[in-house]
Amino acid sequence: MKLTRCDQLFLFAPLAILLGGWLVVPALLGLGATLTTYSPLTTTFKFAGWANYSAVIHDPEFGEAVRNVVLFTVIAVPLELAIGFGIAYLLRPPFRGRSWWRALMLLPWLVSPIASGVMWHFLFGSATGVIDFVFGWFGGNQAASPIGDLRLALPTLIAVEVWRVAPFVTFLLVPGLAAVPEERWEQATLAGASTFGRITRVALPAAKPLLLTVGMLLTGLSLGAFDTILILTGGGPGTATLTPALYSYERAFETNDWPIGAASAWLIAAGVIGVGAVYLRLSTRRSAS
Amino acid sequence: MSRRRDTVVRILLLSAITAAFLVPLLWTGLASLGVLPDNNSRPPSWTGPATLQHFSEIGGAEPAFWQELATSTTSALGAALITVTVSFLAAFGLARARLPGDRSLTQVFLVLASLPAMAYVLPLSDLIRRLHLLDSFATIVLAEAAVTAPLAVFVLHGAIVQLPTEWEEAAVLDGAGLLRVLARVVLPLIAPSVAATAIVVFVLDWNMLLVPLVLTSGEVKTVPVAMSDFFTFERELEWPAAAAALMVSLVPLAVLVALFHRVLERFTLQAPAGGDIG
Repeated sequence: MKLTRCDQLFLFAPLAILLGGWLVVPALLGLGATLTTYSPLTTTFKFAGWANYSAVIHDPEFGEAVRNVVLFTVIAVPLELAIGFGIAYLLRPPFRGRSWWRALMLLPWLVSPIASGVMWHFLFGSATGVIDFVFGWFGGNQAASPIGDLRLALPTLIAVEVWRVAPFVTFLLVPGLAAVPEERWEQATLAGASTFGRITRVALPAAKPLLLTVGMLLTGLSLGAFDTILILTGGGPGTATLTPALYSYERAFETNDWPIGAASAWLIAAGVIGVGAVYLRLSTRRSAS
Repeated sequence: MSRRRDTVVRILLLSAITAAFLVPLLWTGLASLGVLPDNNSRPPSWTGPATLQHFSEIGGAEPAFWQELATSTTSALGAALITVTVSFLAAFGLARARLPGDRSLTQVFLVLASLPAMAYVLPLSDLIRRLHLLDSFATIVLAEAAVTAPLAVFVLHGAIVQLPTEWEEAAVLDGAGLLRVLARVVLPLIAPSVAATAIVVFVLDWNMLLVPLVLTSGEVKTVPVAMSDFFTFERELEWPAAAAALMVSLVPLAVLVALFHRVLERFTLQAPAGGDIG
Protein backbone atom coordinates (compact mmCIF):
# COMPACT_ATOMS: atom_id res chain seq x y z
CA MET A 1 0.00 0.00 0.00
CA LYS A 2 1.01 3.62 -0.50
CA LEU A 3 2.11 5.16 2.75
CA THR A 4 1.30 8.80 3.40
CA ARG A 5 3.59 11.08 5.39
CA CYS A 6 1.30 10.63 8.34
CA ASP A 7 1.41 6.84 8.02
CA GLN A 8 5.18 6.89 7.93
CA LEU A 9 5.34 9.05 11.02
CA PHE A 10 3.06 6.60 12.83
CA LEU A 11 5.20 3.64 11.76
CA PHE A 12 8.67 5.03 12.36
CA ALA A 13 8.26 7.48 15.25
CA PRO A 14 7.98 4.90 18.07
CA LEU A 15 11.20 3.17 17.01
CA ALA A 16 12.96 6.50 16.47
CA ILE A 17 11.98 7.66 19.96
CA LEU A 18 12.97 4.36 21.58
CA LEU A 19 16.33 4.05 19.84
CA GLY A 20 17.04 7.77 19.84
CA GLY A 21 16.22 8.37 23.47
CA TRP A 22 17.78 5.26 24.92
CA LEU A 23 20.72 4.56 22.64
CA VAL A 24 21.65 7.23 20.12
CA VAL A 25 21.41 10.39 22.24
CA PRO A 26 23.20 8.92 25.28
CA ALA A 27 25.86 7.40 23.01
CA LEU A 28 26.53 10.69 21.22
CA LEU A 29 26.58 12.66 24.47
CA GLY A 30 28.99 10.03 25.76
CA LEU A 31 31.12 10.36 22.65
CA GLY A 32 31.33 14.10 23.19
CA ALA A 33 32.22 13.56 26.84
CA THR A 34 35.17 11.33 25.96
CA LEU A 35 36.82 14.34 24.31
CA THR A 36 36.81 16.14 27.66
CA THR A 37 37.91 15.39 31.20
CA TYR A 38 34.23 14.82 32.11
CA SER A 39 33.45 12.38 34.86
CA PRO A 40 30.15 11.94 36.74
CA LEU A 41 31.89 12.70 40.02
CA THR A 42 33.43 16.04 39.09
CA THR A 43 31.60 19.31 38.63
CA THR A 44 34.02 21.00 36.25
CA PHE A 45 35.63 19.62 33.16
CA LYS A 46 37.56 20.93 30.20
CA PHE A 47 38.24 19.98 26.62
CA ALA A 48 40.90 17.30 26.36
CA GLY A 49 40.98 16.43 22.66
CA TRP A 50 42.17 12.90 21.99
CA ALA A 51 43.98 12.64 25.34
CA ASN A 52 41.66 9.94 26.74
CA TYR A 53 41.92 7.80 23.63
CA SER A 54 45.67 8.25 23.52
CA ALA A 55 45.90 7.18 27.18
CA VAL A 56 43.81 4.06 26.50
CA ILE A 57 45.79 3.07 23.42
CA HIS A 58 49.11 3.50 25.21
CA ASP A 59 47.98 1.50 28.22
CA PRO A 60 49.72 -1.90 27.92
CA GLU A 61 46.85 -3.48 29.84
CA PHE A 62 44.39 -2.37 27.14
CA GLY A 63 46.79 -3.83 24.55
CA GLU A 64 46.59 -7.16 26.38
CA ALA A 65 42.80 -6.90 26.44
CA VAL A 66 42.65 -6.27 22.69
CA ARG A 67 44.99 -9.18 22.01
CA ASN A 68 42.80 -11.47 24.15
CA VAL A 69 39.52 -10.41 22.58
CA VAL A 70 40.90 -10.74 19.04
CA LEU A 71 42.11 -14.27 19.85
CA PHE A 72 38.79 -15.01 21.52
CA THR A 73 36.85 -13.79 18.49
CA VAL A 74 38.91 -15.39 15.71
CA ILE A 75 38.80 -18.76 17.48
CA ALA A 76 35.32 -18.74 19.02
CA VAL A 77 33.30 -17.39 16.08
CA PRO A 78 34.50 -19.89 13.42
CA LEU A 79 34.13 -22.72 15.95
CA GLU A 80 30.60 -21.63 16.82
CA LEU A 81 29.70 -21.35 13.14
CA ALA A 82 31.25 -24.71 12.25
CA ILE A 83 29.74 -26.67 15.14
CA GLY A 84 26.41 -24.88 14.83
CA PHE A 85 26.36 -25.60 11.10
CA GLY A 86 27.25 -29.26 11.63
CA ILE A 87 24.40 -29.80 14.07
CA ALA A 88 22.01 -27.84 11.83
CA TYR A 89 22.98 -30.10 8.93
CA LEU A 90 22.16 -33.17 11.02
CA LEU A 91 18.85 -31.65 12.08
CA ARG A 92 17.79 -30.63 8.56
CA PRO A 93 16.02 -33.65 7.03
CA PRO A 94 12.60 -34.27 8.52
CA PHE A 95 12.35 -37.11 11.03
CA ARG A 96 9.96 -37.83 13.86
CA GLY A 97 10.47 -35.50 16.80
CA ARG A 98 12.84 -33.19 14.94
CA SER A 99 11.06 -30.10 16.17
CA TRP A 100 11.42 -31.29 19.78
CA TRP A 101 15.02 -32.11 19.20
CA ARG A 102 15.67 -28.59 17.95
CA ALA A 103 14.12 -27.17 21.10
CA LEU A 104 16.20 -29.50 23.29
CA MET A 105 19.38 -28.52 21.46
CA LEU A 106 18.66 -24.84 22.21
CA LEU A 107 18.85 -25.40 26.00
CA PRO A 108 22.48 -24.29 26.51
CA TRP A 109 21.70 -20.92 24.91
CA LEU A 110 18.83 -20.38 27.33
CA VAL A 111 21.34 -20.32 30.17
CA SER A 112 22.24 -16.66 30.63
CA PRO A 113 25.92 -15.75 30.12
CA ILE A 114 26.13 -14.91 33.79
CA ALA A 115 24.49 -18.18 34.90
CA SER A 116 26.82 -20.02 32.53
CA GLY A 117 29.72 -18.42 34.41
CA VAL A 118 28.31 -19.52 37.77
CA MET A 119 27.66 -23.02 36.50
CA TRP A 120 31.11 -23.59 34.98
CA HIS A 121 32.77 -22.10 38.05
CA PHE A 122 31.41 -25.05 39.99
CA LEU A 123 31.83 -27.59 37.20
CA PHE A 124 35.54 -26.72 37.06
CA GLY A 125 35.82 -26.82 40.86
CA SER A 126 37.58 -29.84 42.31
CA ALA A 127 35.06 -31.00 44.90
CA THR A 128 31.93 -30.61 42.81
CA GLY A 129 33.16 -30.67 39.27
CA VAL A 130 32.75 -32.79 36.25
CA ILE A 131 36.43 -32.73 35.24
CA ASP A 132 37.78 -34.27 38.43
CA PHE A 133 34.98 -36.81 38.33
CA VAL A 134 36.14 -37.99 34.93
CA PHE A 135 39.83 -37.76 35.88
CA GLY A 136 39.07 -39.81 38.98
CA TRP A 137 37.78 -42.65 36.85
CA PHE A 138 41.10 -42.83 35.07
CA GLY A 139 42.93 -42.77 38.37
CA GLY A 140 44.29 -39.30 37.78
CA ASN A 141 45.06 -36.83 40.47
CA GLN A 142 42.80 -33.92 41.12
CA ALA A 143 43.45 -31.34 38.46
CA ALA A 144 43.59 -27.66 39.27
CA SER A 145 40.75 -25.67 37.74
CA PRO A 146 41.79 -24.71 34.19
CA ILE A 147 40.45 -21.19 34.66
CA GLY A 148 43.19 -20.47 37.18
CA ASP A 149 45.92 -21.50 34.78
CA LEU A 150 47.72 -18.74 32.89
CA ARG A 151 47.78 -20.62 29.58
CA LEU A 152 44.52 -22.57 29.85
CA ALA A 153 42.26 -19.75 31.04
CA LEU A 154 41.52 -18.17 27.65
CA PRO A 155 41.00 -21.46 25.74
CA THR A 156 38.71 -22.59 28.56
CA LEU A 157 36.62 -19.43 28.30
CA ILE A 158 36.40 -19.95 24.55
CA ALA A 159 35.16 -23.50 25.11
CA VAL A 160 32.54 -22.29 27.60
CA GLU A 161 31.33 -19.65 25.14
CA VAL A 162 31.21 -22.13 22.26
CA TRP A 163 29.15 -24.47 24.45
CA ARG A 164 26.56 -21.73 24.99
CA VAL A 165 26.52 -20.09 21.54
CA ALA A 166 26.90 -22.99 19.05
CA PRO A 167 23.37 -24.27 19.86
CA PHE A 168 22.02 -20.78 19.08
CA VAL A 169 23.84 -20.86 15.73
CA THR A 170 22.15 -24.17 15.00
CA PHE A 171 18.79 -22.62 15.86
CA LEU A 172 19.48 -19.77 13.42
CA LEU A 173 20.84 -21.97 10.61
CA VAL A 174 18.21 -24.74 10.47
CA PRO A 175 15.56 -22.56 8.74
CA GLY A 176 18.12 -21.62 6.09
CA LEU A 177 18.97 -25.25 5.34
CA ALA A 178 15.34 -26.33 5.54
CA ALA A 179 14.45 -23.74 2.89
CA VAL A 180 16.61 -25.52 0.30
CA PRO A 181 14.27 -27.36 -2.10
CA GLU A 182 14.36 -31.12 -1.61
CA GLU A 183 15.25 -31.68 -5.31
CA ARG A 184 18.60 -30.00 -4.83
CA TRP A 185 19.66 -32.59 -2.25
CA GLU A 186 18.33 -35.41 -4.40
CA GLN A 187 20.07 -34.13 -7.53
CA ALA A 188 23.34 -33.96 -5.63
CA THR A 189 22.84 -37.50 -4.34
CA LEU A 190 21.95 -38.81 -7.80
CA ALA A 191 25.01 -37.08 -9.22
CA GLY A 192 26.98 -39.24 -6.82
CA ALA A 193 27.90 -36.56 -4.30
CA SER A 194 29.12 -37.85 -0.96
CA THR A 195 28.04 -36.28 2.32
CA PHE A 196 31.02 -33.98 2.01
CA GLY A 197 29.96 -33.06 -1.52
CA ARG A 198 26.42 -32.33 -0.42
CA ILE A 199 27.74 -30.05 2.29
CA THR A 200 30.14 -28.12 0.07
CA ARG A 201 27.99 -28.00 -3.09
CA VAL A 202 24.47 -27.66 -1.70
CA ALA A 203 24.37 -26.78 2.00
CA LEU A 204 27.17 -24.20 2.20
CA PRO A 205 26.16 -22.15 -0.87
CA ALA A 206 22.54 -22.11 0.35
CA ALA A 207 23.51 -21.06 3.85
CA LYS A 208 26.16 -18.51 2.83
CA PRO A 209 24.11 -15.32 3.27
CA LEU A 210 22.77 -16.60 6.56
CA LEU A 211 26.25 -17.59 7.76
CA LEU A 212 27.43 -14.07 6.95
CA THR A 213 24.61 -12.53 8.99
CA VAL A 214 25.05 -14.88 11.94
CA GLY A 215 28.82 -14.34 11.75
CA MET A 216 28.28 -10.59 12.08
CA LEU A 217 26.12 -11.03 15.18
CA LEU A 218 28.60 -13.42 16.79
CA THR A 219 31.60 -11.22 16.00
CA GLY A 220 29.95 -8.18 17.57
CA LEU A 221 28.98 -10.09 20.68
CA SER A 222 32.43 -11.71 21.01
CA LEU A 223 34.20 -8.37 20.72
CA GLY A 224 32.13 -7.25 23.71
CA ALA A 225 32.69 -10.46 25.71
CA PHE A 226 31.92 -9.63 29.32
CA ASP A 227 29.35 -11.48 31.46
CA THR A 228 30.76 -15.00 31.62
CA ILE A 229 34.34 -13.79 31.97
CA LEU A 230 33.39 -11.43 34.81
CA ILE A 231 32.11 -14.41 36.81
CA LEU A 232 34.66 -17.04 35.85
CA THR A 233 37.96 -15.19 35.97
CA GLY A 234 37.32 -11.48 36.37
CA GLY A 235 39.97 -11.03 33.66
CA GLY A 236 42.65 -13.05 35.42
CA PRO A 237 44.89 -14.72 36.15
CA GLY A 238 46.94 -11.57 35.65
CA THR A 239 45.55 -10.16 32.45
CA ALA A 240 45.22 -13.54 30.71
CA THR A 241 41.49 -13.18 30.08
CA LEU A 242 41.03 -9.42 30.30
CA THR A 243 38.84 -8.07 27.50
CA PRO A 244 38.23 -4.45 26.46
CA ALA A 245 34.70 -4.65 27.90
CA LEU A 246 36.03 -5.77 31.30
CA TYR A 247 38.76 -3.14 31.12
CA SER A 248 36.20 -0.47 30.39
CA TYR A 249 33.86 -1.62 33.17
CA GLU A 250 36.65 -1.78 35.73
CA ARG A 251 37.95 1.69 34.86
CA ALA A 252 34.52 3.27 34.96
CA PHE A 253 33.03 1.62 38.05
CA GLU A 254 35.86 0.21 40.11
CA THR A 255 38.85 2.54 39.78
CA ASN A 256 36.60 5.55 39.10
CA ASP A 257 38.54 6.46 35.99
CA TRP A 258 35.44 7.36 34.01
CA PRO A 259 37.03 9.12 30.98
CA ILE A 260 39.28 6.13 30.34
CA GLY A 261 36.38 3.69 30.75
CA ALA A 262 34.12 5.67 28.41
CA ALA A 263 36.85 6.13 25.78
CA SER A 264 37.73 2.43 25.76
CA ALA A 265 34.02 1.56 25.46
CA TRP A 266 33.85 3.74 22.37
CA LEU A 267 36.84 1.90 20.94
CA ILE A 268 34.84 -1.34 21.26
CA ALA A 269 31.97 0.33 19.43
CA ALA A 270 34.38 1.55 16.75
CA GLY A 271 35.71 -1.98 16.30
CA VAL A 272 32.23 -3.43 15.85
CA ILE A 273 31.21 -0.60 13.51
CA GLY A 274 34.35 -1.31 11.46
CA VAL A 275 33.40 -4.98 11.15
CA GLY A 276 29.84 -3.82 10.42
CA ALA A 277 31.02 -1.69 7.51
CA VAL A 278 32.70 -4.73 5.94
CA TYR A 279 29.52 -6.72 6.57
CA LEU A 280 27.37 -4.05 4.88
CA ARG A 281 29.57 -4.14 1.79
CA LEU A 282 29.53 -7.93 1.60
CA SER A 283 25.81 -8.34 2.25
CA THR A 284 24.59 -5.65 -0.14
CA ARG A 285 27.05 -6.54 -2.92
CA ARG A 286 25.92 -10.15 -2.78
CA SER A 287 22.22 -9.32 -2.94
CA ALA A 288 22.75 -6.84 -5.79
CA SER A 289 24.34 -9.46 -8.02
CA MET B 1 18.85 -49.27 1.92
CA SER B 2 21.38 -46.50 2.24
CA ARG B 3 18.86 -43.81 3.11
CA ARG B 4 17.79 -45.77 6.19
CA ARG B 5 21.43 -46.27 7.16
CA ASP B 6 21.99 -42.53 6.73
CA THR B 7 19.16 -41.76 9.11
CA VAL B 8 20.48 -44.16 11.74
CA VAL B 9 23.98 -42.67 11.55
CA ARG B 10 22.46 -39.20 11.73
CA ILE B 11 20.39 -39.98 14.82
CA LEU B 12 23.35 -41.64 16.55
CA LEU B 13 25.59 -38.63 15.86
CA LEU B 14 22.89 -36.23 16.99
CA SER B 15 22.33 -38.20 20.19
CA ALA B 16 26.03 -38.14 21.04
CA ILE B 17 26.36 -34.40 20.35
CA THR B 18 23.18 -33.50 22.20
CA ALA B 19 24.24 -35.60 25.19
CA ALA B 20 27.64 -33.88 25.26
CA PHE B 21 26.01 -30.44 25.20
CA LEU B 22 23.50 -31.33 27.90
CA VAL B 23 25.87 -33.03 30.40
CA PRO B 24 26.72 -29.74 32.15
CA LEU B 25 23.02 -28.98 32.60
CA LEU B 26 22.32 -32.51 33.82
CA TRP B 27 25.16 -32.13 36.33
CA THR B 28 23.66 -28.87 37.53
CA GLY B 29 20.18 -30.34 37.71
CA LEU B 30 21.43 -33.25 39.84
CA ALA B 31 23.33 -30.85 42.13
CA SER B 32 20.19 -28.80 42.64
CA LEU B 33 18.53 -31.99 43.88
CA GLY B 34 21.41 -32.66 46.25
CA VAL B 35 22.88 -35.48 44.18
CA LEU B 36 26.56 -34.57 44.20
CA PRO B 37 29.71 -36.28 42.98
CA ASP B 38 32.24 -37.46 45.52
CA ASN B 39 35.51 -36.85 43.74
CA ASN B 40 37.68 -38.05 46.63
CA SER B 41 36.64 -41.66 46.51
CA ARG B 42 38.23 -44.02 43.98
CA PRO B 43 36.48 -44.52 41.67
CA PRO B 44 34.41 -41.34 42.06
CA SER B 45 30.90 -41.95 43.29
CA TRP B 46 27.66 -40.11 43.91
CA THR B 47 26.43 -38.98 47.27
CA GLY B 48 23.17 -37.87 48.73
CA PRO B 49 19.57 -38.88 48.25
CA ALA B 50 17.55 -36.56 46.05
CA THR B 51 15.88 -33.73 47.94
CA LEU B 52 14.08 -30.51 47.15
CA GLN B 53 15.54 -28.82 50.22
CA HIS B 54 18.09 -26.78 48.26
CA PHE B 55 15.36 -24.88 46.49
CA SER B 56 14.23 -23.49 49.82
CA GLU B 57 17.85 -22.59 50.65
CA ILE B 58 17.90 -20.09 47.77
CA GLY B 59 15.87 -17.68 49.87
CA GLY B 60 18.43 -18.02 52.68
CA ALA B 61 21.38 -17.20 50.44
CA GLU B 62 19.62 -14.41 48.57
CA PRO B 63 16.58 -13.20 50.56
CA ALA B 64 15.21 -11.18 47.64
CA PHE B 65 15.57 -14.00 45.08
CA TRP B 66 11.87 -14.63 44.50
CA GLN B 67 11.26 -10.90 44.22
CA GLU B 68 14.10 -10.69 41.68
CA LEU B 69 12.60 -13.54 39.73
CA ALA B 70 9.32 -11.60 39.57
CA THR B 71 11.19 -8.47 38.46
CA SER B 72 12.98 -10.45 35.74
CA THR B 73 9.73 -11.93 34.50
CA THR B 74 7.71 -8.72 34.41
CA SER B 75 10.50 -6.57 32.98
CA ALA B 76 11.32 -9.09 30.26
CA LEU B 77 7.61 -9.47 29.42
CA GLY B 78 7.09 -5.71 29.24
CA ALA B 79 10.27 -5.12 27.24
CA ALA B 80 9.48 -7.92 24.78
CA LEU B 81 5.97 -6.55 24.20
CA ILE B 82 7.26 -3.03 23.57
CA THR B 83 10.08 -4.25 21.34
CA VAL B 84 7.83 -6.38 19.18
CA THR B 85 5.11 -3.73 18.83
CA VAL B 86 7.50 -0.92 17.94
CA SER B 87 9.58 -3.12 15.65
CA PHE B 88 6.54 -4.52 13.86
CA LEU B 89 5.43 -0.99 12.92
CA ALA B 90 8.90 0.05 11.79
CA ALA B 91 9.49 -3.21 9.90
CA PHE B 92 6.24 -2.73 7.97
CA GLY B 93 7.25 0.85 7.21
CA LEU B 94 10.66 -0.27 5.98
CA ALA B 95 9.15 -3.00 3.83
CA ARG B 96 6.55 -0.78 2.17
CA ALA B 97 7.86 2.80 2.17
CA ARG B 98 10.42 2.18 -0.60
CA LEU B 99 12.99 4.42 0.98
CA PRO B 100 16.21 4.96 -0.95
CA GLY B 101 18.79 2.37 0.02
CA ASP B 102 16.37 0.38 2.14
CA ARG B 103 18.30 -2.83 1.64
CA SER B 104 21.39 -1.50 3.37
CA LEU B 105 19.16 0.24 5.90
CA THR B 106 17.84 -3.12 7.13
CA GLN B 107 21.40 -4.44 7.30
CA VAL B 108 22.30 -1.41 9.44
CA PHE B 109 19.77 -2.70 11.98
CA LEU B 110 21.65 -5.98 12.09
CA VAL B 111 24.91 -4.16 12.75
CA LEU B 112 23.14 -2.22 15.53
CA ALA B 113 21.94 -5.54 16.95
CA SER B 114 25.56 -6.76 16.98
CA LEU B 115 26.79 -3.85 19.11
CA PRO B 116 27.81 -5.27 22.48
CA ALA B 117 26.13 -3.66 25.49
CA MET B 118 29.41 -2.35 26.90
CA ALA B 119 29.71 -0.06 23.87
CA TYR B 120 26.81 2.11 25.03
CA VAL B 121 25.88 1.45 28.66
CA LEU B 122 28.34 3.87 30.29
CA PRO B 123 26.86 7.11 28.88
CA LEU B 124 23.36 5.62 29.24
CA SER B 125 23.84 4.98 32.95
CA ASP B 126 25.32 8.45 33.45
CA LEU B 127 22.46 10.19 31.62
CA ILE B 128 19.83 8.18 33.50
CA ARG B 129 21.46 9.04 36.82
CA ARG B 130 21.49 12.75 35.94
CA LEU B 131 17.81 12.59 35.02
CA HIS B 132 17.10 10.89 38.39
CA LEU B 133 15.55 7.91 36.60
CA LEU B 134 17.84 5.33 38.20
CA ASP B 135 16.22 2.36 39.97
CA SER B 136 13.00 2.75 38.07
CA PHE B 137 11.26 -0.29 36.68
CA ALA B 138 10.10 1.65 33.61
CA THR B 139 13.65 2.80 32.85
CA ILE B 140 14.92 -0.78 32.80
CA VAL B 141 12.01 -2.00 30.67
CA LEU B 142 12.44 0.74 28.08
CA ALA B 143 16.22 0.32 27.95
CA GLU B 144 15.89 -3.44 27.42
CA ALA B 145 13.25 -2.80 24.76
CA ALA B 146 15.57 -0.39 22.92
CA VAL B 147 18.50 -2.82 23.04
CA THR B 148 16.65 -5.69 21.38
CA ALA B 149 14.60 -3.60 18.94
CA PRO B 150 17.15 -3.61 16.05
CA LEU B 151 17.22 -7.42 15.92
CA ALA B 152 13.40 -7.57 15.99
CA VAL B 153 13.16 -5.01 13.16
CA PHE B 154 15.56 -7.09 11.06
CA VAL B 155 13.68 -10.36 11.59
CA LEU B 156 10.17 -8.92 11.17
CA HIS B 157 11.21 -6.98 8.08
CA GLY B 158 12.39 -10.26 6.57
CA ALA B 159 8.98 -11.79 7.29
CA ILE B 160 6.91 -8.86 5.97
CA VAL B 161 8.90 -8.40 2.75
CA GLN B 162 8.00 -11.95 1.76
CA LEU B 163 4.26 -11.26 1.97
CA PRO B 164 2.48 -10.62 -1.31
CA THR B 165 0.99 -7.13 -1.28
CA GLU B 166 -2.30 -8.03 -3.01
CA TRP B 167 -4.26 -8.56 0.21
CA GLU B 168 -3.15 -5.20 1.53
CA GLU B 169 -4.14 -3.53 -1.75
CA ALA B 170 -7.52 -5.25 -1.65
CA ALA B 171 -8.13 -4.09 1.91
CA VAL B 172 -7.18 -0.53 0.93
CA LEU B 173 -9.64 -0.65 -1.99
CA ASP B 174 -12.28 -1.68 0.53
CA GLY B 175 -11.53 1.54 2.36
CA ALA B 176 -9.33 0.17 5.15
CA GLY B 177 -6.88 2.55 6.77
CA LEU B 178 -3.34 1.75 7.87
CA LEU B 179 -4.30 0.48 11.32
CA ARG B 180 -6.93 -1.82 9.88
CA VAL B 181 -4.54 -3.18 7.27
CA LEU B 182 -1.94 -3.87 9.96
CA ALA B 183 -4.31 -5.52 12.41
CA ARG B 184 -6.55 -7.42 10.00
CA VAL B 185 -4.23 -8.33 7.14
CA VAL B 186 -0.53 -8.13 7.96
CA LEU B 187 -0.50 -9.27 11.58
CA PRO B 188 -2.56 -12.45 11.05
CA LEU B 189 -0.33 -13.42 8.12
CA ILE B 190 2.93 -13.12 10.03
CA ALA B 191 1.65 -13.94 13.52
CA PRO B 192 3.98 -16.97 13.89
CA SER B 193 7.02 -14.84 13.06
CA VAL B 194 5.88 -12.17 15.51
CA ALA B 195 5.37 -14.75 18.25
CA ALA B 196 8.76 -16.36 17.57
CA THR B 197 10.47 -12.96 17.67
CA ALA B 198 8.71 -12.13 20.93
CA ILE B 199 9.97 -15.36 22.51
CA VAL B 200 13.58 -14.87 21.40
CA VAL B 201 13.50 -11.26 22.56
CA PHE B 202 12.02 -12.36 25.89
CA VAL B 203 14.92 -14.78 26.36
CA LEU B 204 17.46 -12.06 25.52
CA ASP B 205 15.80 -9.64 27.96
CA TRP B 206 15.55 -12.24 30.72
CA ASN B 207 19.27 -13.02 30.42
CA MET B 208 20.53 -9.46 30.02
CA LEU B 209 23.15 -8.35 32.53
CA LEU B 210 24.86 -5.05 31.77
CA VAL B 211 21.84 -2.95 30.88
CA PRO B 212 19.83 -3.60 34.05
CA LEU B 213 23.06 -3.64 36.09
CA VAL B 214 24.14 -0.08 35.31
CA LEU B 215 20.59 1.30 35.62
CA THR B 216 20.12 0.27 39.22
CA SER B 217 21.85 0.98 42.48
CA GLY B 218 20.32 -2.17 43.93
CA GLU B 219 16.65 -1.25 44.33
CA VAL B 220 15.30 -2.96 41.22
CA LYS B 221 17.24 -6.14 40.51
CA THR B 222 16.85 -8.85 37.93
CA VAL B 223 18.15 -12.38 38.48
CA PRO B 224 21.36 -11.97 36.38
CA VAL B 225 22.21 -8.77 38.30
CA ALA B 226 21.70 -10.58 41.61
CA MET B 227 23.91 -13.45 40.41
CA SER B 228 26.70 -11.08 39.48
CA ASP B 229 26.56 -9.59 43.00
CA PHE B 230 27.62 -12.85 44.58
CA PHE B 231 30.85 -12.75 42.71
CA THR B 232 31.63 -9.07 42.72
CA PHE B 233 31.16 -8.95 46.49
CA GLU B 234 32.66 -12.41 46.94
CA ARG B 235 29.92 -13.70 49.16
CA GLU B 236 29.83 -17.39 50.04
CA LEU B 237 27.70 -19.47 47.73
CA GLU B 238 26.92 -23.13 48.20
CA TRP B 239 26.87 -25.14 44.98
CA PRO B 240 23.57 -26.99 45.55
CA ALA B 241 21.74 -23.74 46.33
CA ALA B 242 23.39 -21.99 43.38
CA ALA B 243 22.45 -24.92 41.15
CA ALA B 244 18.88 -24.69 42.41
CA ALA B 245 18.81 -20.97 41.57
CA LEU B 246 20.21 -21.71 38.11
CA MET B 247 17.52 -24.28 37.52
CA VAL B 248 14.78 -21.93 38.70
CA SER B 249 15.97 -19.24 36.28
CA LEU B 250 16.33 -21.71 33.40
CA VAL B 251 13.10 -23.69 33.72
CA PRO B 252 10.67 -20.90 32.73
CA LEU B 253 12.61 -20.34 29.50
CA ALA B 254 12.80 -24.07 28.82
CA VAL B 255 9.04 -24.40 29.32
CA LEU B 256 8.41 -21.43 27.03
CA VAL B 257 10.61 -22.91 24.29
CA ALA B 258 9.04 -26.34 24.70
CA LEU B 259 5.51 -24.95 24.45
CA PHE B 260 6.31 -22.92 21.36
CA HIS B 261 8.85 -25.18 19.68
CA ARG B 262 6.88 -25.23 16.42
CA VAL B 263 6.38 -21.47 16.33
CA LEU B 264 10.08 -20.91 16.98
CA GLU B 265 10.91 -22.51 13.63
CA ARG B 266 9.65 -19.28 12.11
CA PHE B 267 12.44 -17.20 13.66
CA THR B 268 14.91 -16.61 10.88
CA LEU B 269 17.56 -14.09 9.91
CA GLN B 270 17.30 -15.38 6.36
CA ALA B 271 17.16 -12.60 3.81
CA PRO B 272 14.19 -13.16 1.48
CA ALA B 273 15.10 -15.11 -1.61
CA GLY B 274 15.05 -13.40 -4.99
CA GLY B 275 15.02 -9.69 -5.79
CA ASP B 276 11.48 -8.83 -4.84
CA ILE B 277 12.37 -5.32 -3.77
CA GLY B 278 14.50 -2.60 -5.32
